[in-house]
Amino acid sequence: MKSKITNCYIHIPFCNTICSYCDFCKLYYDDKYINNYLSQLEKEINSIYKGEELETIYIGGGTPSSLNIKELERLFNILKVFNKSKDIEFTIESNFENIDEDKLKLYKKYGINRLSFGLESISKKNLDFLNRNISKEKINKTIDMCRKLGFNNINVDLMYALPTESIEDLKSDLDYIFSLDIEHISTYSLIIEDHTMLKINNVKNISEDLDYEMYKLICTEMKKHNYEHYEISNFSKPDFYSKHNLCYWNNSNYYGFGLGASSYAGNKRITNTRSINKYLEGNYILENIELDDRDLYEYEIMLNLRKADGILISDFENKYNCNLRSKFKELLDDGLLVEINGRIRIPEDKWYISNEIIVRMLED
Amino acid sequence: MQQNIRNFCIIAHIDHGKSTLADRILELTGAIDKRELKEQMLDSMDLERERGITIKLNAVQLTYKKNNQEYMLNLIDTPGHVDFSYEVSRSLAACEGAILVVDATQGVEAQTLANLYLALDNNLTVIPVINKIDLPSADVDKVSEELENLGFDKENIVLTSGKTGEGVDKLLDKVIELIPAPKGDANSKLKALIFDSKFDNYRGIITSIRVMEGKISVGDEILMMQTNASYEVLGISIDTPNEKKVKELKAGEVGYLYASIKSLKDVSVGDTITLKKNPAEEKLPGYKPMKASVYSGLYPIDPSRFEDLREALEKLQLNDSALSFEPETSAALGFGFRVGFLGLLHMEIVEERISREFNIEIIATSPSVVYKLILNDNSEIEVDAPYKMPTPEKIKTIMEPYVKAVVFSPSDYIGDIMKLCQDKRGIFINMDYIDTTRVTIEYKLPLSEMIFDFFDKLKSCTKGYASFDYEVIGYEESKLVKMDILINGEVVDALSLIVYKDFAYNRGKEIVEKLKDIIPRQLFEVPIQAALGNHIISRSTVKALRKDVLAKCYGGDITRKKKLLEKQKEGKKRMKKVGSIELPQEAFLSILSKD
Repeated sequence: MKSKITNCYIHIPFCNTICSYCDFCKLYYDDKYINNYLSQLEKEINSIYKGEELETIYIGGGTPSSLNIKELERLFNILKVFNKSKDIEFTIESNFENIDEDKLKLYKKYGINRLSFGLESISKKNLDFLNRNISKEKINKTIDMCRKLGFNNINVDLMYALPTESIEDLKSDLDYIFSLDIEHISTYSLIIEDHTMLKINNVKNISEDLDYEMYKLICTEMKKHNYEHYEISNFSKPDFYSKHNLCYWNNSNYYGFGLGASSYAGNKRITNTRSINKYLEGNYILENIELDDRDLYEYEIMLNLRKADGILISDFENKYNCNLRSKFKELLDDGLLVEINGRIRIPEDKWYISNEIIVRMLED
Repeated sequence: MQQNIRNFCIIAHIDHGKSTLADRILELTGAIDKRELKEQMLDSMDLERERGITIKLNAVQLTYKKNNQEYMLNLIDTPGHVDFSYEVSRSLAACEGAILVVDATQGVEAQTLANLYLALDNNLTVIPVINKIDLPSADVDKVSEELENLGFDKENIVLTSGKTGEGVDKLLDKVIELIPAPKGDANSKLKALIFDSKFDNYRGIITSIRVMEGKISVGDEILMMQTNASYEVLGISIDTPNEKKVKELKAGEVGYLYASIKSLKDVSVGDTITLKKNPAEEKLPGYKPMKASVYSGLYPIDPSRFEDLREALEKLQLNDSALSFEPETSAALGFGFRVGFLGLLHMEIVEERISREFNIEIIATSPSVVYKLILNDNSEIEVDAPYKMPTPEKIKTIMEPYVKAVVFSPSDYIGDIMKLCQDKRGIFINMDYIDTTRVTIEYKLPLSEMIFDFFDKLKSCTKGYASFDYEVIGYEESKLVKMDILINGEVVDALSLIVYKDFAYNRGKEIVEKLKDIIPRQLFEVPIQAALGNHIISRSTVKALRKDVLAKCYGGDITRKKKLLEKQKEGKKRMKKVGSIELPQEAFLSILSKD
């Protein structure tokens, strides 16, 4: 099942501060590493990239905007090797603390057309809890600047279900985000991962019931403000779905370059090392999983059902030679799955228990 | 040579240092070198070493020289816990003497006495030993006086330390001096007692025997007198403790044989082996069959492993003849077995061995005692599981087993112990001061109250100082009712229980509250109710599953998400589906209130 790779993720692991919840691949910004890292990234890209025309590129982190202008410019020059489609979605993640007009202008110059900001929360106690620092003034100013420079596709990340947070706090975070009038909002409820400051400090999750109330509030408020809930944790104005994000859930192939990045090509899922030293030595790969038919089938179900429109039945049945309607009859009868326009999906009011539903689908 | 054989065992209250003392004896007789000595050499199961208790008996042959004479010592280890007194009596039947070990810091305890009486019943010569004399808190004079009060001669009491080895030589001298050599004529017709058996993957069933009369040799055709099976002896061995092959065993000797015995039914512990061509006229007395006092249903979580579970139980039964089982069906749990145990520890050990040695995941239902019922038509039935209880209008009388429990304790805790026994529906029988600071308290108690948490509560209300022993003394009429537990409106038969009527409301409340916390949230709200007949006496609710969704995906790390789902899937596999509800194992044991 060889298909063309049209998506690409680039990881920049450096940050100026380390957020308490983050277990993703990150390192304190240290300029002695940056140039070596970029050189290695360049080598990795040049040894793997086959020249396909790309529909999406996503530069994530870490905090890509923690790089200085010179370093960023070097990064963009490295990425020039990519053959970009004329409709490419080219995203970079940034933090409000370390973004400025010069960096935004540079983004523009090198073809970035989608910006993603980690906002997370604006309540003081939440920010303290997350070990982040940000002000409304800075955010407002930055968004204005982006608009002036012509960026018309902006995302912010919102985090909720923090132990310090009340439902009113969440409401005011949401109201503030709506006031920014941006195109896309990613939300996620706090997970206390191993090896994070939160875990070390033995922080506990909020109650399942409050978490659910918060999720419900988000869904209703988004709808009220005309954001489409197109994927479990993503909302956007019409026509502003994240193409890169959807490539994961459509089970499309993608490149992943950089520390800790993942790629999916053919039937291989490769995860890169999270050790900066190994990476700099050129030992990129941590794990290379070859998927068998059963895996491919399971991944496709699990991923497709993240999306509002779910699984395209005809396409799926062709690929995996099965009858979805009879296989999942019980779940369909119980209303845990629904069929609409030739697609099977989890009804929106059951999204919050999608794991349970997917696990049932994966049972033999 | 028979004159120089001594067959003996070591008996003690749990934790009085029996196995460590056995280790020292092995070391002193050169059976093992200090370097190869693992703690508790004779405890061969991992489970035994981990829990620090002996469950299965073991026999080992040792050589000891005294006054230029060579002696053959057969040491048979015995379990210390009250649940295994049956096994103790089995090993006693193979011995002429017993070493009674008493901890110098604890003194005589409940099972010291119980084991002593067992040994005396079997006409054994008993050598009293005060052990752990190296400990600073040892009080040799006091313990010595306690032993003298039990009728021992002061001069025969041996002082030892299992830790340092002090006194172990004197102990062996006493063994040779006091324990009689076995009787029995090597020229008589063969009578050998099977006192243990186990399954070996290569050699089939191995039986441990004590030859009482005659002799047995490799190549002999033997007959099991009770089961009537016959086999050719392929090999005879003794443990020293490493296996040593021998050609024959004569009257008075202990060892084990294998004969390609594949059918588990052919071997019965307590049976007598004789020769087929020249059989003995009469069997040895054997053992009185031990009656299980606690029953529990064991069900494989994966229904397709029902036959594997049967095989596992059959294999365990081989060297655990107190274990009994028969197939049963539960509406909630499917096909399984009703298994009889000697007590709760026995139950725990068997369940753990099934999962460890046979790798079968099981659900065990809450333990039950055997009730005797007289129905309205005056017929009598026995009920060993709550779900088998007939409806109340058919029952004239319910009787439940009672035990006589003897508690040994420092006198400071008399009040607490009496309160505990009274809370457990106990009836006071007697109290005796052993000395100025220690008492024995006797109570009559319903076995059903005792098997749940009596031991834990006794330990906690006496700071661990009390010990106890019990024996079943008979049945008495009782005000009992069957309580059903309904989950999502349906009675789950495996959760039903029989309770004392006056306790029903409190127990019902405790159980539904507990189940509420144990049962994971399901897709919908699940009511849990306790009911007496049609009358609901208590209710709680498991809330609906509210949040179970993967978070946003960082940088396309999809494999990690998949692994999380796999883990969730595995967790589900360990649950038992009852109707549309998934129940974890703990739910079935929630009835064993521990608080």
